[in-house]
Amino acid sequence: MVNRYINTNTMPRLSLYRPNRTRDYQFLDRTISEMYTVGGLDLYIHKYMGPQTGGEDSALSGNADATQPVYETLSPLNIQDLLLLENRDRVYDPDVYVMRGVYNTQDVDFDLTQFGLFLNNDTLFITFHYNDMIDTFGRKLMSGDVIEVPNLKDYNPLNSSLPAALPKYYVIQDAAYASEGFSVTWLPHLWRVKATPLTDAQEYNSITNKPFVSEQIWDNGNYYPAGSIVNYGDTYYQAQINTPANIDINNTTYWQEYTPPTISDVQGTRDKDTEINDAILTQADVEVPLSGYDTTKFYIVPTLLDGQPALAEGASLTADQTTTVDGTQGGQSTSPRAEGYTLGYLTGSDEITPNGLPVTPGVAFPPNPVVGQYVLRLDYKPNRLFRYDGVRWVKIEDQVRTDLNNGPANKTLRSSFVNNTATVNTTDRGPIPSRQSLSELLKPRADNGG
Amino acid sequence: MAQQFFYDEQIRRFLLQFTRIVSNFQIEYGREANSDQAALLRVPVRYGDASRNAQTIIQENSASSMPSTPLMTFYVSSLDYDRPRMQEPYFVSKVNVRQRTYDQDAETYETTQGNAFTIERLMPVPYKLGITLDIWTSNTNQKMQLLEQMLTLFNPSLEVQSTDNYIDWTSLSIVELDSVQWTSRTIPMGTENPIDIATLKFSLPIWISSPAKVKKLGVVERVIASMYDAQGDLQDAVTNNDLLLGTRVKVTPYNYKVVLIGNKLQCLQGPAIVDQPNSSLIAPDLVENSNLQWPAVVSVYGVLRPGISQIRLEQPDGTEVIGTIALDPNDERFMLFDVDPDTVPQNTLAAIDAVINPQTSAPQDGLDSAIEGQRYLLTEPTGNLDNQYNPTAWVGANGRPLVAEANDIIEYSDNYWHIVFNADTMPGGQYVTNITTGLQYYWTGEMWIKSYQGIYPGGEWSIVL
Repeated sequence: MVNRYINTNTMPRLSLYRPNRTRDYQFLDRTISEMYTVGGLDLYIHKYMGPQTGGEDSALSGNADATQPVYETLSPLNIQDLLLLENRDRVYDPDVYVMRGVYNTQDVDFDLTQFGLFLNNDTLFITFHYNDMIDTFGRKLMSGDVIEVPNLKDYNPLNSSLPAALPKYYVIQDAAYASEGFSVTWLPHLWRVKATPLTDAQEYNSITNKPFVSEQIWDNGNYYPAGSIVNYGDTYYQAQINTPANIDINNTTYWQEYTPPTISDVQGTRDKDTEINDAILTQADVEVPLSGYDTTKFYIVPTLLDGQPALAEGASLTADQTTTVDGTQGGQSTSPRAEGYTLGYLTGSDEITPNGLPVTPGVAFPPNPVVGQYVLRLDYKPNRLFRYDGVRWVKIEDQVRTDLNNGPANKTLRSSFVNNTATVNTTDRGPIPSRQSLSELLKPRADNGG
Repeated sequence: MAQQFFYDEQIRRFLLQFTRIVSNFQIEYGREANSDQAALLRVPVRYGDASRNAQTIIQENSASSMPSTPLMTFYVSSLDYDRPRMQEPYFVSKVNVRQRTYDQDAETYETTQGNAFTIERLMPVPYKLGITLDIWTSNTNQKMQLLEQMLTLFNPSLEVQSTDNYIDWTSLSIVELDSVQWTSRTIPMGTENPIDIATLKFSLPIWISSPAKVKKLGVVERVIASMYDAQGDLQDAVTNNDLLLGTRVKVTPYNYKVVLIGNKLQCLQGPAIVDQPNSSLIAPDLVENSNLQWPAVVSVYGVLRPGISQIRLEQPDGTEVIGTIALDPNDERFMLFDVDPDTVPQNTLAAIDAVINPQTSAPQDGLDSAIEGQRYLLTEPTGNLDNQYNPTAWVGANGRPLVAEANDIIEYSDNYWHIVFNADTMPGGQYVTNITTGLQYYWTGEMWIKSYQGIYPGGEWSIVL
C-alpha cells in the first residue's frame, strides 16, 4: 500500500554532497564570505614572489653552481638552493594585499631564550575565505607569505621616541583547508594557515629593509613643522625648521635629505645586539689592546758590559754625551742594552724602546750613529728595533704584539691569510688577488677575480 | 669581622676576551642595494643568559619586536677545579720591578726611574671554565659560512689573554674547542619549526688568583751565603744576628764601598784605594780618580728622596749610624750625609783641640800658645823621667816637664801640661771628638781609630730609599 503513494521513480535520492560547485555551494560560499566580512578583521599580506633573480653573488661572479641556479624571472616555483633546499633571498611583492581573516586570540607566555623573546603558543591559526583569497591574492596563501596583524600593533613600545607604532608580523608556516570550512556540500570554503611570529632574518629582508616611517608625500602647498619627514620620489626629506608652503624641497635651509631607519633597525634587535657586542669589544680592547704584555711602564736600569749600573737619569742621546760611570764608555751608559727583566713571551715588542728613549724609525741605519742610539727598521717584517753599541747594530726586539680583534689590524699568522688584500701581477691577466680559496686556486675567472 | 672584600673580575675578563675571539665574523646577507655584490652582515655576539628585565628592554617591551638572526650567544656552562694542573699551593713568587716615572699632567711615562716594587704572588688555583657558544642562523648556508670562518681558529685551541699586565701570571690561557653540535633540530623536522642552533663547546684552563702583595723595593739587600749554622739549625741561623756577623758572608751588589768624609759620602768600586785607612786619625782625601756617580748606584734600587732617603753605616758593635742623604749639587760623586746625632756614639771624653806630634810641634811652634784648658791627642811620646833635659817646648811652670806616651791626651792647666788620658791604663770604649777636624775617635784599648767616619766595605752599609 505504501508504495502506491510514494513515487520512487521521480523523487531524487537525499544527498547534500555536491561534486561540483553548484548554487548551494555558491549560496553557502557567499554567506560565509559575508560572515568573514562582517566578523573578521583585515589582515595585510606580504606576498612571497620567489627567490631573487640573478642568483647569488657567487653565480654572478662567474663561479656558477648548478645547485644554485640563476633564474631570469621571479616565480614562487623557483628554489634558490637545490642542495640545501632553501630560499634565502626572498622577494616580496611591494604591494600589500588586504584580506579578512579570523583567528582565535590566546594568552601567550614569554620565552626568553638566549636569543631573545619568543612567544610560546604565539602561533596563530588564521582562516580566510578561500575564494576571496584567490580573487584578492591570486593564489593560495603558502608557507613564506608574511601577514601583518593590525589589531596587534603596539602603540606603546618602551622607547617612546620611535616614530611610529610597531606592527606585528607573522610568517606562514603551513597552510591547508580548514576543517571547519567544509559546508554541507562537503566542499571547502576556508583556508587555514599556521603562522608564527616573524624574525628579523635574511629571508624577510625585502620586507624588513623598508623604511620605518609614515609615508607622507611632499606637497608644495603644505606647511610642515620642524622635524616633519616627507618623501619625494624615492628620497626622504626632513624639515629642519618650520617650513611654510611654497618652499622648494631642494632648499637646504628648510629641507635636508633624511635616511629613515628600516623596519629591521627599529623592530629587530640587531642594532642593539651589535651595540652590546661593540661595548664588549671596546672593554676587551681596553684590557688587552695588543697581544702579549705591556712592559712600557717598567724601567730598565742601563748597565755596563760587566753588569754594573750605568747612568741613565737625565742622560740624553747626544753625540757629545760624556756622562758615564767611569768616563770610558761613551754613550754606553745612556740606554739599556736589552729588555732586561721584562724580556719574555710577547713582551717589549710594541715599537717602544726600553725606558721610552728616543728612537729613529727608518728603512736604513743612520750614518754616524752615537753609542746607545736606537733605530726601528720598518723594512723588517715584523719591524725590528736595533741599538748601536759602538761597533754594530744589535737586535733588541721584534714587533710581534698585535691587535687581537678579528680584522685587518690583526697581524697574526692566520689573519695574514684571511685579511689579505694584496694583489699579484700577472703577464696575461693583470693583477689577481693574493688571497684565493684553495678550491679555486689559480683558476682563470671571467672578471679577473682570481 | 668579615674578610676583606676582593674581586678582580677574573672570570669576567675571560668572558670579554672570549667574546672578542668570536666577534667580527660576517655572513652574506642578500645583495647590496643596486648592486650585484653580496651584502655582508656582521654577526653580533652577546651573553646568552640575559636577565628577563634586560632582555625585555632589548626588545622594547613589545611583542612586536623581532629577534634578529644570525646571532651568537655564549654562556658559562661549567666551572670545575682542575686538579691535574694543581701546583704547590703555598708557593709565593716574587718579582722585582721598577716603574718609569709617570707624569700625571701629561699622562705619559717619562724616561726616568720611578718607584721600585717587590711583588709577591700566591700560587693561583686552577680551574677549567666551560663555555657554550650557540649560533642561531635562519638557514644552513649562513651556518656553513660562519662555521667555516670560525673553525679555522681552533686547531685545536687558541690563545687568550685576560690582561696585558706583565706581572699577571694568570692572564694567559687557551680556548680549546671540545665539540661541535651541528643543529639543535631533530631530523626530520616534523610539524614544528624550531629555530636552528649550532652549538660549539669550549673549555678554558684558567687560574683564579688571590690579590698580590706589593712591597716597596728600597733596601740594599745582603746576600746571605750560608743558610745554616754550624749545628745545622736554620731558625737560629736566621734569627741570630751574631751568626750573621760572624759566619755569614754579606755582599753588597757590585761590592761597592762607601767612604764617609766629613759630611760627604763617596761611593767607590771595590778596588778603589782610599789614602787613609780607618786606623788613621787623619781624614781621607776624596778619591779623585773615581767617577762612580751616586745616581747610577741609587737607580738600581729606586728613586732617591733627598732629605728622606737614608744611608745606614754598620758599626763593629752591630749598631748603625744613620743619616739622611741628598745628592751633592756640585758633584754627583758625593752624597751629603746629614747624620742623626742620636745614632752617633756619645763622647766619653772632653773634646780635644787637635791631634799632634809633640816631637815636631809645640805651643808657639806650630801650635797656639798654651792656654788654660787646651787639649791635645799625641801621636808620639815626649819627655822622659830619666832625661835631665826634657823638651823645653812642653815644660810648664817651675820647669815641670811633660812626660807622655803616644795616644795620651794632655791638657794645659795650672800653667803646665797634665796627662788626662793615660793610654797605658785606660780600657777600650772611649770616644773623643777632634774640634779641628770634626772627627770622632774611638779608643780600642790599644790605639785610636776613627769612630764612624771612614771606609765601609760592601755589606756594611745600606740604603733606605
